[in-house]
Amino acid sequence: MTEKTLPYTRLDICNRFLESVRHSVVLGLEVVSATEECVRVRMPWRDDLVGNPETGVMHGGAIFAMMDQAGGMAITCRTFPTFEITPTIDFRVDHLRSPGKGRAVVCEAKCYRLTTHVAFVSVTTWEEEGDDEPIATGLATYTRLKIDKAGTVVGQ
Amino acid sequence: MKALKTLIEECRSGEADYQALIDRVPYARFLGIQVIAQGDELTFVLPKHDNVVGNPTLPALHGGAVAGFMEQAAIIFILLQMGEPKVPKTIDFTIDYLRAGLFRNTYAECSVTRLGRRIANVHISAWQKNRQEPITIARAHFLLSDDGSTD
Repeated sequence: MTEKTLPYTRLDICNRFLESVRHSVVLGLEVVSATEECVRVRMPWRDDLVGNPETGVMHGGAIFAMMDQAGGMAITCRTFPTFEITPTIDFRVDHLRSPGKGRAVVCEAKCYRLTTHVAFVSVTTWEEEGDDEPIATGLATYTRLKIDKAGTVVGQ
Repeated sequence: MKALKTLIEECRSGEADYQALIDRVPYARFLGIQVIAQGDELTFVLPKHDNVVGNPTLPALHGGAVAGFMEQAAIIFILLQMGEPKVPKTIDFTIDYLRAGLFRNTYAECSVTRLGRRIANVHISAWQKNRQEPITIARAHFLLSDDGSTD
């Protein structure tokens, strides 16, 4: 089947993947867009995700979780239409500056190299509708598990 | 709300429970983080809970939840060592996933590799079955003071 005749798009598969991940749903993550090149994910500000009660800044851990999830979906977009389970091997995030209180954040994840067993991913995060200065950057590797019927996670 | 410095002094002297310090942080409450104190030794706990599940078919914990738990553990750990406690800012956080996080309680312990005037380097290890078999290890840098910064 060619890509055009498939009954689902990359965005559909990413949404199904996200819906299957309880922690990501609880964080309120949304897939904004999904192409072969990159995935954009949004996380709304919420007062229960605050890390510093004195400033109201969102916790680095919540931002990390969004970036990790987005990285996984960037790989999904590269392996599309095949869905694979891809656990994170390692992930480094640099927190360049704090996002403002009350601001939603958006990240863009790219899988810039896909080998037989390993995927290399970069992720950049901004404040939604903010200036173009990123708040965080991340670099990660994931491993491609060879599991039969991995597609059942996304209803394939 | 009690001043952070007062609360930390009370935790150190045993007048206040360490849990009160953790419960000040909304995200730590969101994850359900707990702390076990044995003398001055602290073990942090991420209790198994539906909200921290990643892959539901295994089921396995979400790597992001485990990372957030470890980062928060390190923040509390440093706060307790600071003379003038101020919530440290994470500069960078690097995590290695060694084993799958199963749907069970996760424990973490921290060690400060260097506590400078401005920057701290912390190592965090998390395990489930025993501490000799960590599921993840992490290293992080924190900014302790941004005096003189324009940020």
